[in-house]
Amino acid sequence: MSRFFSAWHFDGRTAVRREVEVQTIGPNFFLREADRQHGPFSFAELRYAGEQGGAQVYNLEGEDGWRLGLSGPIPEELVQNLPATRTYGGIIDRIGLGPASLVFAVLSVIAVAIVVWSPQWLAPLVPQSVEKQLGRALVGDFGGRFCQTPKGRAALAKLTNSLDANPGDLQVEVANIDMLNAVALPGGKVVLFQGLLNQAQSPDEVAGVLAHEIGHVRERHVMQGLLRQMGLAVVLGGFDGSGGATINNVLSTTYTRGAEEEADRHSLKSLAGASISPLPTADFFERLSRMDGSAEMDKDGSSRALAGYMSSHPLSDDRKQLFRKARMTGKTYTPALSYDEWNELKTMCAQDRDVKSGWGFDIG
Amino acid sequence: MGSTTLSDYDETVGRQRPSDRQASAFSFHGNWIDFLKIAVPNMLLTLVTLGIYRFWATTRERQYLWGQTEFIDERLEWTGKGMELFIGFIMVFFLIGIPFAVLQLVAQGFIFQGQPAIAGLLTFILVMLLFYLTGVAYFRALRYRLSRSYWRGIRGGSDDSGLGYGLSYVWKQIAGAIPIFLLYPWASISLWNERWSMMSFGPYRFESNADWTQLMKRYLLFYLAPFLLFVMAIYAGVQQARGGGAMGMGGAAAMGGLGLLLIISLYIILPIAALMYYSKFFRVAVAGLRLGELEFEFKARSPDWILFFLANWAIWLLALALAAVPIGFIMAGSSFSPELFERREMTPALIGTLALSALIGAAAIGLVNALIRYRSWKFFVVHMEAYGEVNLDRMSQSETEVSGHGEGLLDAFDVGAI
Repeated sequence: MSRFFSAWHFDGRTAVRREVEVQTIGPNFFLREADRQHGPFSFAELRYAGEQGGAQVYNLEGEDGWRLGLSGPIPEELVQNLPATRTYGGIIDRIGLGPASLVFAVLSVIAVAIVVWSPQWLAPLVPQSVEKQLGRALVGDFGGRFCQTPKGRAALAKLTNSLDANPGDLQVEVANIDMLNAVALPGGKVVLFQGLLNQAQSPDEVAGVLAHEIGHVRERHVMQGLLRQMGLAVVLGGFDGSGGATINNVLSTTYTRGAEEEADRHSLKSLAGASISPLPTADFFERLSRMDGSAEMDKDGSSRALAGYMSSHPLSDDRKQLFRKARMTGKTYTPALSYDEWNELKTMCAQDRDVKSGWGFDIG
Repeated sequence: MGSTTLSDYDETVGRQRPSDRQASAFSFHGNWIDFLKIAVPNMLLTLVTLGIYRFWATTRERQYLWGQTEFIDERLEWTGKGMELFIGFIMVFFLIGIPFAVLQLVAQGFIFQGQPAIAGLLTFILVMLLFYLTGVAYFRALRYRLSRSYWRGIRGGSDDSGLGYGLSYVWKQIAGAIPIFLLYPWASISLWNERWSMMSFGPYRFESNADWTQLMKRYLLFYLAPFLLFVMAIYAGVQQARGGGAMGMGGAAAMGGLGLLLIISLYIILPIAALMYYSKFFRVAVAGLRLGELEFEFKARSPDWILFFLANWAIWLLALALAAVPIGFIMAGSSFSPELFERREMTPALIGTLALSALIGAAAIGLVNALIRYRSWKFFVVHMEAYGEVNLDRMSQSETEVSGHGEGLLDAFDVGAI
């Protein structure tokens, strides 16, 4: 930084640097060299460009490459005509870095909160028909992996009808895939995987899981999840890759927990309505969580299948207790299915000759 | 300032000789403390705006880096705007990101519906399209950066859209890969020449005639290093077995040591071989560049590159160690355990713990990345050299078109311009 005021100029037409004097005439100014003069230019068209090697640099609107650099103490009558300098630009310079950061932080928290909470109210506004089409487009018939035998379907229908008052708009299927899991998909589709039926020791256990998934459908959790993921992808899209995904994961754990609780409450209500005991479901959870801890299970590969259920249905002590305590003393419970029906359901996939098995591809 | 010594500037012919005046035509005047004064507020603002500020952060960073870089006797100037980068990002998000996400879902749908062949075809088309767009992105990023870089009020640019370059990018990369990747140096140098030949600065068009055959020795060294190591290990093993057949335990220990040596050499020798190739690549590629009467040279040699990367690596380690301390304290102070996280028993306190740790981690990563960008720019500037003359009177303004949006594509694919 020079102790004396000096000015230089590039006209944007050639690369020649000109040492100039700034001559102010009202709202305009001239740039004077020893032998010639440039201008007049209007102060109103000057834009602050930034600092360069200790000089304050200004552009002229509409003139590509036009620069005026001022270094040293700028004379007072010139200062009042110059546009204000900028550091961060816009709002941040006006209110200061600290307050601006605070305002941005509050706005960000509000934006994330809206995206996380609003699907609860938005999801019910999406027409069922749209969701059904979405389900068909995304999932279809699992590539022919849904199992079909008349008796098996009848048993499944009986189970569904006992758990839901309005089973017409549900589509419950058993998929011939050896995976310990069950999912609720868009459009009222609920899929039980054969691996789950293999692990279950009674139809009552399956009833608890099925009622839980129906709970997700009835509470519109699937649509909520889709909307939320879309919203978060937009809101957190500003972060690059992994940062956004990490925050997304942390947030998702908080809201899935709420949804799982809701689905559990729905499940308990349905079980009670159908006079099916909640105890077997509690036992089922108990067995699952024990399996998770035991290293021997790794040998036969069950624990890998188990990871599917554990990651989508977090098993906590609270959850087991919830089902255990829901048993009402004095109430008579009936089995969800007869022995024969249960057998037909369990063996439906084995009996179905047309059904495709496994994934048919590597899902990693 | 304001007193650029015109004694070096021959007024009568309006010529400037880059290498007459000082040790190098390019010099860097920045220091990392001043840079941190920009990088730290950038980090803060990026975090509180959920990442949106990063476009403006990039701009402020470049204003500093360009402004501290002197070519002959005058600083460079970065005139890009954060808003341009933001608009570029939004355009890519809506024009490419969302259609691709939808098509990916459709491909998944085909898998569920038992049509893996159609899903595979669709995925293949998507991948090829992304490949093509990556090529276009490289081109447009370079064009954007040149069009926003000014020196003495003059800028660069290109009138080419880069759409044709995208096709070249696809076929040359594939052609280079077909003979078991042996023609990779040809592909990268040929693309470099093609890209730069379409760029200009002021009234001059860049000429780029780098010769790829000069790279082959280094490339083969890198390419064959794993095989050479393997052969050497076997040879040593055989010698060992022959010489010390009766030593028993001693021989086995020696073999174990040999294996260990092999693993270490893979982790040390391979990266060094890669850097040696990279170093040669830059020297050959930059030496092939010409602008008007200016010729260029990139002087960094393999040891410079190795030191550069080692220092970057050390900065990473240091930052991770520094970030681990507060995160460790926060985790220890709360009732956090991985098991709780696994079971998703999330309490508000736990969410707070995780969020705070994530913020500290993100801040550390962001700052390290900024410092490495600073070091990379400095490395690039201090090793650049130019020879020849600049005729300042004839150096007139570029007539190339200026696009209103920034490096959207590039940003989306996360690649660098040069």
